[in-house]
Amino acid sequence: MNNLLTPVKAAILDIKDETPDVRTYTIGADAEKFKNFQPGQFNMVGAPGVGEAPISLSSLVEDGGSFQHTIRSVGRVTQYLEKFKRGDEIFIRGPYGRPWPIEAARGGDLLLVGGGLGLAPLRPVVHAVLKERKSFGGVTLAYGARDPLNIICGDEFSHWQESIQILLTVDEVPKGTEWAHATGLVTELLDETKIKPAEATAFICGPEIMMRFVARRLLLEGISPARLYVSLERRMKCGIGQCGHCQHGSAFVCKDGPVFLYREISRFPDGLL
Amino acid sequence: MTGEHAFQKYRITKESFRLLVDSLMGELRVVGPVSEGGQIFFHEISSAEELQMNYPSTMEPPSKTFFYRPQEELLIFERGKNISVKEIPPLEEKILALGVHPCDMHAILYLDKVFHEDPYYMARRDNTILVALNCTEVSEHCFCSSVGTGPHLKVEAGYDMLLTDVGEFYLAEPKTERGAALTQGVRPARVDELLLKDEEEKQLLKDIQKQIDVKGLDACFLENIGHPVWARTSDERCLSCGNCVMVCPTCFCHDVVDETEMSLKTTRRLRRWDTCQDLHFAGVHGGNFRRTRAARLRQFVTHKLDYTPQFGATGTVGCGRCIRWCPTAIDLTEMAKEIQRSPLK
Repeated sequence: MNNLLTPVKAAILDIKDETPDVRTYTIGADAEKFKNFQPGQFNMVGAPGVGEAPISLSSLVEDGGSFQHTIRSVGRVTQYLEKFKRGDEIFIRGPYGRPWPIEAARGGDLLLVGGGLGLAPLRPVVHAVLKERKSFGGVTLAYGARDPLNIICGDEFSHWQESIQILLTVDEVPKGTEWAHATGLVTELLDETKIKPAEATAFICGPEIMMRFVARRLLLEGISPARLYVSLERRMKCGIGQCGHCQHGSAFVCKDGPVFLYREISRFPDGLL
Repeated sequence: MTGEHAFQKYRITKESFRLLVDSLMGELRVVGPVSEGGQIFFHEISSAEELQMNYPSTMEPPSKTFFYRPQEELLIFERGKNISVKEIPPLEEKILALGVHPCDMHAILYLDKVFHEDPYYMARRDNTILVALNCTEVSEHCFCSSVGTGPHLKVEAGYDMLLTDVGEFYLAEPKTERGAALTQGVRPARVDELLLKDEEEKQLLKDIQKQIDVKGLDACFLENIGHPVWARTSDERCLSCGNCVMVCPTCFCHDVVDETEMSLKTTRRLRRWDTCQDLHFAGVHGGNFRRTRAARLRQFVTHKLDYTPQFGATGTVGCGRCIRWCPTAIDLTEMAKEIQRSPLK
């Protein structure tokens, strides 16, 4: 019987700065193990002596087997990872969790709503859509960030915009910063989408309080509860439903999620949904 | 279970049982209930004379004594030119575990569902001959009959033999070939002797004071997240000490921690019991999903009395340890009953 907590070595092939405290790492690891890594799933990423943290997949898996993790440096593990350079080795295990149901969204309209670093797990969904643009109907990405400096994947928006609608907002614009888009809540961006929620599938990822208001608004506008998905963040130590840290109601966020139908979890205590 | 078939039931005198246990000392580590400082613990014995088979309950549950240990070494990272990772193989130690009560046996079956893919837990499980023992007395904290886990054991698999103390002798019911091997040389029980077991059970059921109706509690708790019983009990009495979790035979939550030697050459990755009563248990960057003590107490209580969808079994086995060992005598059944009596409108 295998020890399911044994990580494998992975190489940092590239590092890209997204914001002052967010970086995207391109990872090369055992291609066979990670070939079925799906958008919405995550790895436990870490280093010996420091520990592990759950980090979502922020790209599709490339033909050569590499993939990306977009990480904000805020905790013990992620602050340690910040010191790593290209060519360094980290330890990872996965992939874990339930992915975004991209297949089920095919053929219809798709509304993606991201807040802050919550765009990271939605980015591979955008990539998947762009790969087979014709098999989806209308696609809108509504994205909100704290301020223009804290936008991730900003350099990709113009390319994405050729194929899907992009709506942007920030909470605040610091003096002297240029910003040509909206300021305010992500929910307000939804006024501008061409997609009718009643006919669409929605994937939402961001701060829980943001997801709450987006989900409730979409429900009021008639989205089917069977097509309204959110991705949750919880503390995790194992990723395989044993350590209990991520329990939310009766669900283990690590293996029953992190992607859930909003209706599966909205009644549970101790969340903001 | 493979090879499942009806085994004979046997009558084994207490003297023969002691001789049998003593005869096995050489080939196995024998662990059973012994008295120490006024408490009962599962400890290794060197003679069957030490056994206290007629015991009320232990503080440390056998599911944790035998299988889910407080700390488990999982991996070693070694730093040389490169860092290498080595798995720590599970210990293959043969143990005979004697006298596990029905509620505690159910707790083991519950943990089986959590750790069925864990090599350390499963190696201990495979290498332990489990002899369960029906209760002969109940305490004021027991509510096993309300959750179908006792005072007599009704499940047929997951252990090797069931003993019932019927006074002069034990009725011994092997459930596996390993269990049957323990009954060699003793005679099968007669029908009238088998009936004694039912008499014992009837008497015990009469003695159980604590009852709880768990039917519908899942939905009831969801509708009563803001019930005043949570905040009142936690504000007035809960110390967030985590005793309830430590003594709970089904609590499986743990932390995964790295310990690095002073030389920095090796790091050991360990699994160590953790408790949802700890403030940081559900903390993430920028927030904590159970910052209030009330939320943490509710998490424990609902995880025990609810959350059957997790593993298809109720989280509690009715052993009453969390009540018995709570420094302020918080009783989860009383909290549930208060909600049932006066739910939020």
